[in-house]
Amino acid sequence: MRNINIYLKWTLFMLLTVIVPVVKAHALCLQQKNKEGEVILDAKPANKSALFKEGEEISYKLSIKNTYNEKQEGKFSYVVTSDDGKKIFENTTDFSVGAGSSKSLNVKVAPKGAGFYHINFMFNLSTYDDTVRKVFGVNPKAITSVLHKPDDFDQFWQETRQQLSKVSPQYKVIFRPDLSTKYKKVYSVEMKSYENLLIRGWLVIPTDGSKFPVHYRVPGYVVELKPNMDNDDYIAFDINVRGNGNSKDVVHINTDNYSTTNIQDKDKYIYRGVYMDCLRGLDFLYSHANLGIDTSKIFVEGGSQGGALAVVTAGLDKRVKVLTMQVPLYADIRDNYSISASYKEQVVPFKMFRQYKNRHPEFSWEQFYATFDYYDPQNFAPMVKCPVLMGIGLLDQFCPPRCSMALFNHLSSTNKEFVCVPNSTHEVDFNYFMFQNLWVREKFRIP
Amino acid sequence: MKKLILSCLCILVFIGINPYRSFASWPIGKYRDIVIPSMFLYHQTDRFDRDGHRIKGDPGTGFTSYSANLYVGYGISRRLDLIASVPYVYTQNKFANGDKITNQGLGDLYMGLSYNLVNFNYVRYLSVQVSGIAPLYNRSLELGLGNYGAELKLMYCGNLPKSIASKGYFNTEVAYRRYFDVQGPDQLSFSGTVGYPISHHDQLSLELLFFRSFSSNKAFNPNINNARDYAFFKPSLNYGHQFTRRFSTFIGGYYTPFGKNTGVGYGGSVLAIIKI
Repeated sequence: MRNINIYLKWTLFMLLTVIVPVVKAHALCLQQKNKEGEVILDAKPANKSALFKEGEEISYKLSIKNTYNEKQEGKFSYVVTSDDGKKIFENTTDFSVGAGSSKSLNVKVAPKGAGFYHINFMFNLSTYDDTVRKVFGVNPKAITSVLHKPDDFDQFWQETRQQLSKVSPQYKVIFRPDLSTKYKKVYSVEMKSYENLLIRGWLVIPTDGSKFPVHYRVPGYVVELKPNMDNDDYIAFDINVRGNGNSKDVVHINTDNYSTTNIQDKDKYIYRGVYMDCLRGLDFLYSHANLGIDTSKIFVEGGSQGGALAVVTAGLDKRVKVLTMQVPLYADIRDNYSISASYKEQVVPFKMFRQYKNRHPEFSWEQFYATFDYYDPQNFAPMVKCPVLMGIGLLDQFCPPRCSMALFNHLSSTNKEFVCVPNSTHEVDFNYFMFQNLWVREKFRIP
Repeated sequence: MKKLILSCLCILVFIGINPYRSFASWPIGKYRDIVIPSMFLYHQTDRFDRDGHRIKGDPGTGFTSYSANLYVGYGISRRLDLIASVPYVYTQNKFANGDKITNQGLGDLYMGLSYNLVNFNYVRYLSVQVSGIAPLYNRSLELGLGNYGAELKLMYCGNLPKSIASKGYFNTEVAYRRYFDVQGPDQLSFSGTVGYPISHHDQLSLELLFFRSFSSNKAFNPNINNARDYAFFKPSLNYGHQFTRRFSTFIGGYYTPFGKNTGVGYGGSVLAIIKI
């Protein structure tokens, strides 16, 4: 009897401590297994570039893959808005996709006028909610914007250039054997720029040849440029404008405040000197042909703030023969303001401008434009006559595509192209740079 | 011989477009020009019979061809290139009795358009080329088949996967050529090339060419310019040196280890690539 009791106790103990938990765990596991999974969504525009012609039907193909072990049911909606957040069209339908299966949908949107539009595809399903956000463009070459060019704009920049010309550059070209290689000689370059400020740059000269075209790179927003060792066929000159990289001796400002430094005074605004730093870099290149610089083949390039600096440089100085830029910051600043007002979370550049305004309630947007209209890259665009290549990312919030295209359409150059990268935010892709390389070679007839 | 010349040209010529990685099927590029003067040597003494057995040539016999070729390529657009080549050929056919026949003159004009169908991130390219062939000589001179012809070629080239060779390149071509004569021939070829830079200015490449010419005329002809029904496999090794960005030279050698109804050919080539 005692043995039986022991046996029963032992069985009960095992049941409570091992078997029940195992069974429970198994049941939980099964339950979780049903819940584990996802709905994989993909939306592809009918045109790979997501750019459509005026009057062309806009369509997307959606692929929906359900990896759950249960059917997903609910609603599918899509909303089309303008790039400044105004709702244009909305549609909602019932939607279901079987367990472990796939489905595809074709979404058509009525033709729209020239511009960029946001289209959000939303799935609210049994156990899965998600939104796929895309942007498409319609006839971007027809996008227009108003130029708010001050009457004395040209005079302002003429005077600024005159002031720069009075500054003795005092160039220093310092060979850096520690950074040089068998095939590239690296030089640290110093020069005095606007307001007698010292700025620096990096010059990289291939050893394999005697005369080279120049790839002149201007920097992004408070980004340090370093020696560009990537190209065998160009002399690479990378300038760090004041406050960037190794040009922080006097101007050393953090990213939150850089773009608003002296914003209240057009004469003292930081970018007056920054723009002149870029021209001083050109002065340097032109005065050093003895280093193998082919001054008839200088192309200026930049991305983001660098894009703005590049277009300003090419606008103010005809010594630039070819311009390439990606996602140019600050372009069409007034439309950028309107578009950025619709963002849930502020981003560069209006994040800084709005922060500044919040800290200085007395500072009005009118005052902001009274300064910035002298610096909006768009106002320099009509002065650009050389061949231009521009790359934009359709999902870019920093430089909304509409603003970049407005700038592009104001360029006077008759030889201009743009490349649109549909799934990029504030950047372009590898493919763009491969094309840019071929494009510049084509313009300069480089073998 | 013409085919061999063209084969070598197609391989070697394009190595020079970019001595480190590009040749053959890379688009020339809008407004770009390439001029390639070249010299080719082909010699055979022995031959392969119809079953592929090697037949020793009689003492004193042999066929030799020297050719000077001028190739010009022009980039009409980013995708479309115009190409043309004209050879000047000198041939000598020696017989056992001591007789020899020599001929010389312009060979077949080869002219066509190459179109880049797809580029894969500007790293790999798929292109098609349509060309015409026109004899520039009196048929009796045997400097070619003496017939007009046409060729359709599909080309795929690009960088080798980094897992195989980080700076290497490849080129593959499939071509069909038809001569407009009752005896044809119809010609099919497949070539595959891999190249690799061995220094900043030098490169080596290996090409394997499979060639088949079909015709109702099965006769063996030691003069490969005139042969109609034959096949061969020909590997060639090439070395290129870049003097400047616009001027490169190349030297190559080849041998025919396997063939049917054709000569056991070997030879070499020297050419210069001038990019304007």
